[in-house]
Amino acid sequence: MAVREMPVVTRRSWRRRVSQNRIAYAFLAPAVTLMVLIHLIPTLQALYMSLLNLRQENLRQYLRAPFVGLRHYQNILIGLFTGTGSSYVQGLAQALSNTFIFAFVVNAAILGLGLVLALLLNREFVGRGLARTLILLPWIVPTFVAGLIFRYIFLQEGGLANRILVDWLGVMNTPTTWLVGPNARWALIIAAVWRGVPLMSLMLLAGLQVIPGDLYEAAGIDGASAWQRFRYITLPMLKPIIAIQLMFGMVFNFFGFGPYNIAVAMFGGLNLGTYADLLIPTIARQTFTNQLYSYGAAASVLMMLVAMGFVVAWYRIFRDALTAQ
Amino acid sequence: MALPISVPRTRQRARAGANSLIVETLLNLLLIALILLLLLPIIFLFVSSLKTGREFLSSNSFLPQTWQWSNYPEMWNQANFGVYFRNSFIICGIATVVGTFFAALTGYALTRFRFPGSELFSLAVTGTQLIPGTLFFIPLYLSFLWVRNNLGVPLIGTNYGGILLYTGFYIPVSLWVMRSFFAAIPVDLEEQAMVDGATRFQAFWRIVLPLTGPGLISTGIFIFLTAWDELFFASILRLRTVPLGLLLFAGNQNNQARYDLVCAGAVAVTLPIIILFLLLQRRLVQGLTAGAVK
Repeated sequence: MAVREMPVVTRRSWRRRVSQNRIAYAFLAPAVTLMVLIHLIPTLQALYMSLLNLRQENLRQYLRAPFVGLRHYQNILIGLFTGTGSSYVQGLAQALSNTFIFAFVVNAAILGLGLVLALLLNREFVGRGLARTLILLPWIVPTFVAGLIFRYIFLQEGGLANRILVDWLGVMNTPTTWLVGPNARWALIIAAVWRGVPLMSLMLLAGLQVIPGDLYEAAGIDGASAWQRFRYITLPMLKPIIAIQLMFGMVFNFFGFGPYNIAVAMFGGLNLGTYADLLIPTIARQTFTNQLYSYGAAASVLMMLVAMGFVVAWYRIFRDALTAQ
Repeated sequence: MALPISVPRTRQRARAGANSLIVETLLNLLLIALILLLLLPIIFLFVSSLKTGREFLSSNSFLPQTWQWSNYPEMWNQANFGVYFRNSFIICGIATVVGTFFAALTGYALTRFRFPGSELFSLAVTGTQLIPGTLFFIPLYLSFLWVRNNLGVPLIGTNYGGILLYTGFYIPVSLWVMRSFFAAIPVDLEEQAMVDGATRFQAFWRIVLPLTGPGLISTGIFIFLTAWDELFFASILRLRTVPLGLLLFAGNQNNQARYDLVCAGAVAVTLPIIILFLLLQRRLVQGLTAGAVK
């Protein structure tokens, strides 16, 4: 963000600027009203709830619920760092590590595959428009449908994965269990990668198309190899797009509802097992089934802080690439 | 690209040409393989929706023996899908139109005015995207419950709640998209119109908005697709929209062996948005990538 000169604002001139821009506030009013009602007020209420001891019976009159301060935060953090604590904090710790693995693997795979696809599509060939349309289709499929598709792909009996591996290719002798046990992690990752690759390759392709061709011509005259051209021209030119997509990808995969929808549809509910349990489904399940309303709010706040920390760190790392344009 | 000067073709050059032809062919084959791999799950869903339930489990063949088109009406009636579809179309349609309009108003104001609070507002808009849904769904539910009990507006279990929620939900992202479109439109035209006596809103409505057609369309599609795919808050507010309809149907014990019907439902849920996508694809891609490359 550009730094603007901040003039010394007196109370008088501030008021004048407000009244001069009355029309701007009128344009903003509907959006602001909705955001206050749907985002701001519930979030403030939730922040307060995270300091209470809410149960089913005092949920509706939550202002009268006992105030416990930061106790939930303390319990969660101590539990996470020492590996002790109640069973739900241990579940949260498991979900946290699963989510880290999930987000990193999915993002890395999406970036790699998306780049390969974008480079392949950024060539002259017959049917390029059609190829681009087909590539985007997985992204158009709703996430809950994607989850259902992969649930059936990974069924032990009759699923496509086992059909291919056992019956058609004969790579394995017996059908594998995909949706239970350690394999569940990879089944979920594969589904998320499939759903995420199209958008990444579309964005990278858009980036490739605005790289000036004379850069490559000049490099060709200088005798640069294909790898050198990729390394010293393509990658640096794509850096801002990669940076933005990685940030969105991390935030999205860390606590977006896309992975939640995929997982819920894939495993038929909120019980995802040890290896596929992600943060959002875990917190949702613990909140619902154990009525841990305040604990759930506190866990969500901590998750939000992690995300904010991530965005700040991301901005520091990529600031040059983002402001260079 | 052909060079303007003719280059004598030596044997070496001819071999290089043959090599690059081989490379191009291999790259094309790789691309085709990757596209097929990406499409395989979708094709699998489609062919599975046309098998019988027993065939799905036991048959070794990828294609159905006879194409069971009757699965579709059967699924439609059993799952009472008409209701879910109508609700989803009403909720997503209204949220799309109203949300796009509000986002356009806001995006326009942000590009044309520098007013006290604009920076704070931009920060708040970004902030909304970092709030996890698991944080505020209980207060949101309680507020909706309060409105129902005290003001008599039935916000839970009806389409009203869904419309209100989804209209507000996607405004932050939508207004970023709209903003980048408005920033690209020169201010001369509307200033001229206002010199000629138009109000600010008239200038916005008659001059600027028609020029942002692609922006409105890509924002609208974004809202529609995202709202169509919303599951978590739909279950909290007990909306009867297609994601819940399909997942309830899939989870129903009586349908456990009827994978064919669930697949038919999944195809039916996906079809409207695939059609929408194919119709408006060019605009959507333009809008999506406009922000990325700038």
